[in-house]
Amino acid sequence: MNFLKYIFKRILQTIPLLIIVSLISFFIIRLSPVDPLAELRLNPSISQETLNKEIKRLNLDKPIYIQYFSWAKSFVKGNLGYTSAGEKVSTKLKERIPNTLLLTLVVIFMTWSVGIPLGIISAVKKETAFDRILTVLSSVGMAIPSFFFAILMLIFAVKTGWFPVGGLTSYNFNELGFGGKIIDIAKHLILPAFVLFTISLSGLQRQMRANMLEVLDSDYVKFARAKGLSEIKVVFKHALRNAVNPMITLLGFEFAGLLSGAALTEYVFQYPGLGRLILEAVMKSDINLVMASLMMGTIMLILGNLLADILLMITDPRVRG
Amino acid sequence: MKKILIWGFIFLLLGLCAKFCIRRDIPETYPSSVHNTELENINYPDKNKNVTLNGVDYLQSQAPVGVFGGELVVSTIGEGPKTFNPCNSKDNTSSSMAGMMYDGLVTTDPITGEVVPQLAKSFSIDGNEYIINLRHGIKWSDGKPITADDVIYTYEEIVFAGLGNTATRDMMMIGGKLPKLEKIDDYTVRFTTSKPFAPFLRMLSYQIVPKHYFKPYSDKGESVFNAFLSPNTNPKEIVTNGAFRLKEYVAAQRVVFVRNPDYYKINTKDEKLPYLDKFVYLIVGDTNNEILKFEAKEIDVLGIRGSNVARYKLKEPTSDYVMYNLGPDTGTMFLIINLSKDKVAPAKHKWFSNRDFRAAIDWAIDRKAMVQNVAQGVAEPLFTAESLNSIYLNKYIKGHPSDKNVARESLVKAGFKLKDGILYDSEGNRVEFDLYTNAGALEREAIGVMIKQDLEELGMKVNYKPIEFNSLVNKLTNTRDWDMAIMGLTGSPLEPHDGKNVWQSSGPLHLFNQRPADWNIDDRLDWEKELDEIFEEGALKLTFEERKPLYDRYQTIIYNQKPIIYLYSPIRITAIRKKFKNVFPTPLSGLLYNLDEIYIGEGE
Repeated sequence: MNFLKYIFKRILQTIPLLIIVSLISFFIIRLSPVDPLAELRLNPSISQETLNKEIKRLNLDKPIYIQYFSWAKSFVKGNLGYTSAGEKVSTKLKERIPNTLLLTLVVIFMTWSVGIPLGIISAVKKETAFDRILTVLSSVGMAIPSFFFAILMLIFAVKTGWFPVGGLTSYNFNELGFGGKIIDIAKHLILPAFVLFTISLSGLQRQMRANMLEVLDSDYVKFARAKGLSEIKVVFKHALRNAVNPMITLLGFEFAGLLSGAALTEYVFQYPGLGRLILEAVMKSDINLVMASLMMGTIMLILGNLLADILLMITDPRVRG
Repeated sequence: MKKILIWGFIFLLLGLCAKFCIRRDIPETYPSSVHNTELENINYPDKNKNVTLNGVDYLQSQAPVGVFGGELVVSTIGEGPKTFNPCNSKDNTSSSMAGMMYDGLVTTDPITGEVVPQLAKSFSIDGNEYIINLRHGIKWSDGKPITADDVIYTYEEIVFAGLGNTATRDMMMIGGKLPKLEKIDDYTVRFTTSKPFAPFLRMLSYQIVPKHYFKPYSDKGESVFNAFLSPNTNPKEIVTNGAFRLKEYVAAQRVVFVRNPDYYKINTKDEKLPYLDKFVYLIVGDTNNEILKFEAKEIDVLGIRGSNVARYKLKEPTSDYVMYNLGPDTGTMFLIINLSKDKVAPAKHKWFSNRDFRAAIDWAIDRKAMVQNVAQGVAEPLFTAESLNSIYLNKYIKGHPSDKNVARESLVKAGFKLKDGILYDSEGNRVEFDLYTNAGALEREAIGVMIKQDLEELGMKVNYKPIEFNSLVNKLTNTRDWDMAIMGLTGSPLEPHDGKNVWQSSGPLHLFNQRPADWNIDDRLDWEKELDEIFEEGALKLTFEERKPLYDRYQTIIYNQKPIIYLYSPIRITAIRKKFKNVFPTPLSGLLYNLDEIYIGEGE
């Protein structure tokens, strides 16, 4: 019962947060001197009448606060509105969300399944050659800027011809068989996933190593060792459970980054994901699209934190109290 | 000892990295032959003919007979199409894709630029009456015949009713009146304009759409019509008449077209065109990605700009592509000066409205250096308001070299004084102003720096401010609080009347002296009045010979008054893979205008 009450309270808390985020972002975008109709205005063949029609359609002739309320009203009703080009925001997002999810889930799966074990190993084999090499490699991974690495990878793809240059599917995708389709997507995914993997792996591995070291140094581990338990049992049965708790909070944040975390890499690889869409929308002050994606990001962040809290409650008896 | 080894290893690694990163670049001097890929030795085929077979009026291509099959992949930069509705497209990508699927009554001859029949079999003009004869027996992609009803529907219920993009309707409005349209029989229609109106015939290139497919949507009003044929429409249900049909659209990735098996164009062996099975647009984010995709052979055609031309030219002999020089671009790049009274500080307004001051700027700007340094030689200096490939270009305007002394003389004449290298006006104000351009456009940013340098040699202080494109447009069209800007506009090489929004004093793009929308005081400058008259009159004259002197005069006025100082036109260089045959590029229509005739063949 306590548990449900807690969740309910958390959800209630998010409402003012959402309102504040939406207010700030709406006004910042609208107050910036960016004209969503700039391209139309500079087109010699577009008449004043067409322009006026567009201004009306986008509500640009009304004061900002009225624009905000009309946006908020339809948002609460679940209507995300239309982009400045006249397409439905919801269909635009629907086209892109699966692609971004696919990429980020693959990356998260890869980093966690590699980063956690590496962290454990380097903590257990502290100060050995293996640990040192990992330290150097992860520093390199942390230091290299993602867009630069992505461009290097693209050049690699062009020079070798082993991988396609950006995108998610080949143009003859629909003629391929089921197996062919999977191979095609995998081929397109490898490079962007590798870039994101290298960059987030190092942080995760360092974090895990630090946690593990801390736990391995604690008294109860020393006691377990003194008791004569085998090293494997000490590490996996006693130390690991405590060392992994902080990682769960981290996972909550990563959930928030699921939809927006890879914008730069997506842009360089021309990956048809949300990041590229939002970037282009911000450039053009396409308010409905930007707002929808910002709100989505906020909701994901809140959800991720909530999820992490719940998971922590399950794994860590101290939080439950 | 161990440490030394480790350090040695690290240096070796770094060294190797550096070695791979440094690539031998192309020498600074590039072959002068870049410019000489002229289109002179292309044997253009004869004009298309009308041929009637089994009661069907086909259009017969006279190009060499090719082989069927294969695909051509090109790229489009940006977000991809926003609609497939040809009547509602407001951006280039959308309209070129809708143009693949829908043909208009007439089209432009790619070589001479004259108006030739397309969906129409023929047309005749008698003063202000235009009689259009349609082809018998040609069909929409769902098998229904294309008749006069479709033409009447397209014009009356879409164009004249103001649905979608109203640009065509606005242009067809002559003295506030739209043309009249009558059906003579199922295959003949007659347009009657209120006055003879020269640009009218070319406007009939507006795409004809199927009444039976469009009407249910156009009847429901504007918002339904605007959402109709959005990119997510099921391609199978779209009814078209163009050479290609939509096969699939994948957001942010590609648009695939397949050949229309029942197109009305045939080759000299009476086989139905087009040859290609598929035509694919890959949607890419920027030019860098486009270049990579061309190098990786994912796309077949590449527009090459500036510094890349030399590199591609050097590689051309051993490569699988051939490069064409399509001549100067239709776009223009210019420095524009704000002459408007109300939003510019009075002192500045006094300078800017002085013709000698503007002339000094014009003489100070070194176009040749810009062509060499910014466009890497792949451009031509520009002095006229019409682009260099326009058929209305005033050839008597020869331009002038840059000469700072002439510029200084001109400033002295205008009452400016130079003291210790700083320029003051007659009232002792220092000459200082802002120069804007859109950030991100590398070419324009570089031009801005050069102009700043040129003008500072005259003692002016130029605050150079590249700002975001949308903000710049907002400044130019709404707030009007700017001094000078470097901009570009697209133009039509065939119809100078398209520029009327820029040149007529009431036009929404009359940027250099824009008045607020509710302005009702006549404060036009003398030459603005003359421009207004020229554009009124030019549209009413019917023959090229009558119109040419008028439009020559307008270019002379702009050249003399210099509210806009033209800089240069980039030259378009395009590469296409050698395997594509029947490629007959022209300066007017570019490379792929005859997509239905292009085929994939062996050999050179």
